[in-house]
This record gives sequence, C-alpha cells and structure tokens, in this order.
Amino acid sequence: MSDIVRKGPMIKVRLTEYEATLLESLLDQFSELLAVEEPASVDDDPFVRWQAEFSAAEPLDHDDPVIERLFPQAYRDDPAASAEFRRFTQARQRQERVGQAELVMDALRASDGGRRSVQVRVVELDQWLKVLTALRLSLAVRLGIERAEDAEALDSVDEDDPRSYAYRVYEWLGYLTEALLTHA
Amino acid sequence: MTTPAAPEPPIGGVAVSERPAESQVLPGGWVTIVWDDPVNLMSYVTHVFVTYFGYSETKAGKLMLKVHNEGKAVVSHGSREQMESDVEAMHAYGLWASLEKTT
Repeated sequence: MSDIVRKGPMIKVRLTEYEATLLESLLDQFSELLAVEEPASVDDDPFVRWQAEFSAAEPLDHDDPVIERLFPQAYRDDPAASAEFRRFTQARQRQERVGQAELVMDALRASDGGRRSVQVRVVELDQWLKVLTALRLSLAVRLGIERAEDAEALDSVDEDDPRSYAYRVYEWLGYLTEALLTHA
Repeated sequence: MTTPAAPEPPIGGVAVSERPAESQVLPGGWVTIVWDDPVNLMSYVTHVFVTYFGYSETKAGKLMLKVHNEGKAVVSHGSREQMESDVEAMHAYGLWASLEKTT
C-alpha cells in the first residue's frame, strides 16, 4: 500500500493493482459464503419476502466454522436461547454484511483496479472496518488461529507452505484496518 | 450556517448519561460480555467500544485491556432485550460477545 490520506470527509487509499484485485477476490468469496438460495417465486410484497426468509430455518451452514465465527452463539450455555436469537437476528445480520461487502466492492470498482485512489467516506468507515474484520476472521478460521501463539507460529512458516500466503494476506488486512483507524 | 442555542440546564444541574459498565451491575439483570480473541486488533476493539457504546477513549481502552488480559469483560448491562441488541451489534463488528444473567 503506497499511501493513505484523509481529505475532509474522505479517506483516500492508494492500492496497487494487485492489492485491489486481491481484495475484490476476497469479497467475492465472502459474498458467496453469505449467499442463500432465493425462494423460487419472488414475491413483490416485501413482507411476504421477509416472511419467506424468516421462516427458512438456518439458511446458513453453521457446520462451517467461518459461519459459526461470524454469527456466534449469543448464549454460551443455552443452545435453545442461542437458536432463538439466531432466528430473530441472522437474516438481518446476513443482509447487512452482504450490503457492506457491496459497498466496499463498489468503491474498489470505482478505483478502476487501483489506478485511482479508493475513496472511503468517513461516514462509511465502520462498514469498511466490519468487512475487513469479517475477512480477517474468515482467514483466521481457515488458518486455525485460535490463540495468539497460533499466529506467531504462522509468522515463521516456510514460504513454500501454502499457509504462508494466506497469513500474509491476513496480516495485510490488519495493516489496512489499522491504517484506516488512524485516519478516522 | 448556525450554531444551536445553549441548552437550558435542567433543574438540579446537568445530567450526564453514560451507561456504566460492570461497576454497578445489579443482581437479576443481564450483562453483555466480550471475549478475547487473537484476531481483532486492540485499536479496533477500542474503536468499537467508543463508537457503539459512546464510552470515552480512556474507558474504552481500559475495557479493551481487560478483555485482552483477563480473557473477557462485561461491557454493558441492562435488560435482556438491551443486551441482545448489544450482542447483535458486537457480532456485527466481528467481536466475540455473549449475554448472561447476573446472579
């Protein structure tokens, strides 16, 4: 990342073409993870659509540890209450996350693959931070980072190790998050 | 552009409302707990506590360190409904949070 500057209501981030493409690809995977099958007949009535989504129990695969990390149990010792919480909140949470990923994707597209600086509106900063955090959490689950020592161990794996690349991406997302925070 | 007129102080002085953290937790109420994880950045966790709860930087920083050093911290308390919405908000930020009843 070459530079990042605050200009009034905007934070301008220069990404290399490589970084912009990488972030777009991570966002694509993220949106795929959060995609749920639309009901066959799309009703125009938003209430009917909402009801359909609401009644579709567990549209996300909670056997996937990434989903479980992004939508964790709200009650540690009460699976029934956690399931109830999820029933009431998950559809909304999922839609918010999809919307945030689209917002970041739109900003990246407007930068024309990093040829222009990426414009982060300060009022939308938290949406950016939520997306970058979700991407880091997803990578952390895949990399098996459960304790601080796990990350330290990954820091020194061999370059040929396939985890080495994913870990560098994870670190870069953290660097970008930190840079955005310091310019908030 | 204009500036708002100075508000009249309410009778009996100005009330500053900030939700206290665990210092005044009452039995029978509910609390939101944020758990430590090795992924979220310390600066980010502090930012979330400032932004969402409206805590001062100092208080947010102390809470963040408590999560980091002790593995968890009570970040808010109130009714079950309030705590469910706090937990939902923490999850949206990617923080690991849960609610429980105080004894």
